[in-house]
Amino acid sequence: MIWMSWRQFRVQALVGLAGLALITVYLVYLGVDIRDAYDAYRTRCQSQVDCGPAMTQFRSDYENTLLFIAAGFTLICAIIGTFWGAPLVARELEAGTHRLVWNQSVTRRRWLLIKLMLIALASMIMVGTISGLLTWAAGPVDQVADDRFSALVFGARNVAPLGYAAFAVTLGAILGLLLRRTLPAMAVTFLAVIVVQFAVPNLIRPQFMPTEKLTMSMTAAAINQARSLGSITGAAVVNGLDVPDAWVTDTSELRTADGLPLSEEKFNECFNNPPKTGATGTFGDTAACLGQLNLHVDIAYQPNGRYWPFQWIETAMYLALTGLLLVFGRWQIQRRVS
Amino acid sequence: MPPNDFQPVLQAKGLTKRYGRRMALTDCTLTIPPGRVIGLVGPNGAGKSTLLQLACGLIAPTSGSLSVLGSPPASNAAHLARVGFVAQDTPVYASFTVADHLRMGARLNPSWDQALAERRIAQIGLNLAQKAGRLSGGQRAQLALTIAAAKRPELLIFDEPAAALDPLARNGFLHTLMEFVAELGASAVLSSHLLSDVERVCDYLIVLCDSRVQVVGDVPDLLASHHLVVAPRGELDRLPAEMDLIRIEHIDGYSRAIVRTTTPSEQIPWTVEPITLEELVLGYMTRAAGGPTAPVGATAGEGLR
Repeated sequence: MIWMSWRQFRVQALVGLAGLALITVYLVYLGVDIRDAYDAYRTRCQSQVDCGPAMTQFRSDYENTLLFIAAGFTLICAIIGTFWGAPLVARELEAGTHRLVWNQSVTRRRWLLIKLMLIALASMIMVGTISGLLTWAAGPVDQVADDRFSALVFGARNVAPLGYAAFAVTLGAILGLLLRRTLPAMAVTFLAVIVVQFAVPNLIRPQFMPTEKLTMSMTAAAINQARSLGSITGAAVVNGLDVPDAWVTDTSELRTADGLPLSEEKFNECFNNPPKTGATGTFGDTAACLGQLNLHVDIAYQPNGRYWPFQWIETAMYLALTGLLLVFGRWQIQRRVS
Repeated sequence: MPPNDFQPVLQAKGLTKRYGRRMALTDCTLTIPPGRVIGLVGPNGAGKSTLLQLACGLIAPTSGSLSVLGSPPASNAAHLARVGFVAQDTPVYASFTVADHLRMGARLNPSWDQALAERRIAQIGLNLAQKAGRLSGGQRAQLALTIAAAKRPELLIFDEPAAALDPLARNGFLHTLMEFVAELGASAVLSSHLLSDVERVCDYLIVLCDSRVQVVGDVPDLLASHHLVVAPRGELDRLPAEMDLIRIEHIDGYSRAIVRTTTPSEQIPWTVEPITLEELVLGYMTRAAGGPTAPVGATAGEGLR
């Protein structure tokens, strides 16, 4: 059965290997480049009193590239699920060859189990290699930026991607079993993996452990640390506030001293017609105007010390989902067939 | 497990398969003795494929029970090894070579007989290095047959394997099939809508029409118990109780009827002509197509109103 699984997977495996080789070459190049730059910035800052600006410069040189790669990494999991997972059963059902192979002396359940395990192992090796290389390559930048807990970066480092890989191919295979046609199964798998990869960091991961709470008073200086003010709906919010050594999972709207939300009128007044004070900073007079209102926000966060527990929880969660899918698939393949 | 001489190869009780509201097989009760080559005939859509796919466990019945060689179909790996199945359109892996298919058979079947497979492939004249996707329909059917037979099953099931083949390829296929059956000492079930194929190779017959079994039995028994009776018109309107009317036609002043009876032909008071298998099968098919679809027992015919 292992020979059979390998014989059918051979071409896809070779294509995957070629892709992996290209990615490896690029990541090694990137890692070396990042280290060279890191050394250069370090040398430069030794002659200065403050290393901060040099490191900020170093970080911003690579930040966008690494975010782009992290997003691409999410796509790799979706692509593996689409091209390795989805056709696994669907192709057999479509070509009718399941009627040939299921009548050899191997039960359908065992056939599915072995095929899926081989392909899940292959995808975990592939994604694990990429994740390992990326973790290594981005090391100096991650160290300086100290934001490896943030949604996109978290999912593209260390062990969590192993779970994504196993889940994506298993989901693909089971969707193929249910939909019975290769192309629809591929399309649905691609979308489903991306939706899950989006939903988990935003909806589920913040709940892995109870969040820590913090009230941050919104002085003009604090407001100027934010990324932006207001929202599309015009609500009185500040976006992109940072808590040192933590991943901010939720930020409340701007609240007044009595804990009530700041009215949109007052917010808009400060936003559109702030008194001219000549204040500097990102938001200038608006920040100064809001700063005088004695506002605060309530922040929920996960301390950075929980990074590794979160990595393991997420990996375990995806592997458990994979296991459930496999159990479901083994039940389905026996029940609704041919 | 040694083949049991008394154990039926296939035993169905009230076997029913429904797809949505369409009945594919209705209340099928059958017991097929071992050591036969069974022909399953009926028009397209009669439920032949459904019955055979149930028998190899590819689909599950809606109700009723079915046991093949004494166990539920495809119940475990050991049971799968005892049944060989060649599906309709004889699917093979287009990207595999002929040799890959033999290797697949060897890897997936503990009872695989590589020598038998190789000898057969050589006899058919297939090139081991050829991709199965480039084989002709006849060659592909022969390959599928070889894979099914080389695991040395006790029962071989063929679902319309020759339907898409030209007469020459069909002839070659049926020839190989019979050689395998003889060599393995296996029972075989072969479905076809071509009565000539069935007549050539089968010694046991199941007629399936309109999702119901019409008649079942050994071919010589069926031929002995059915008669073509010719009599002046009107005389056949009242038949003796032990005589079942299968079909009747009126030609001028005469009536021509196919009857089923245990009465020896010399005791029948009218002119009795020998019946061919084709007339017999057509008689049952016509009755199923024209008459009401009242349930008829697997062995007992029911007279027309």
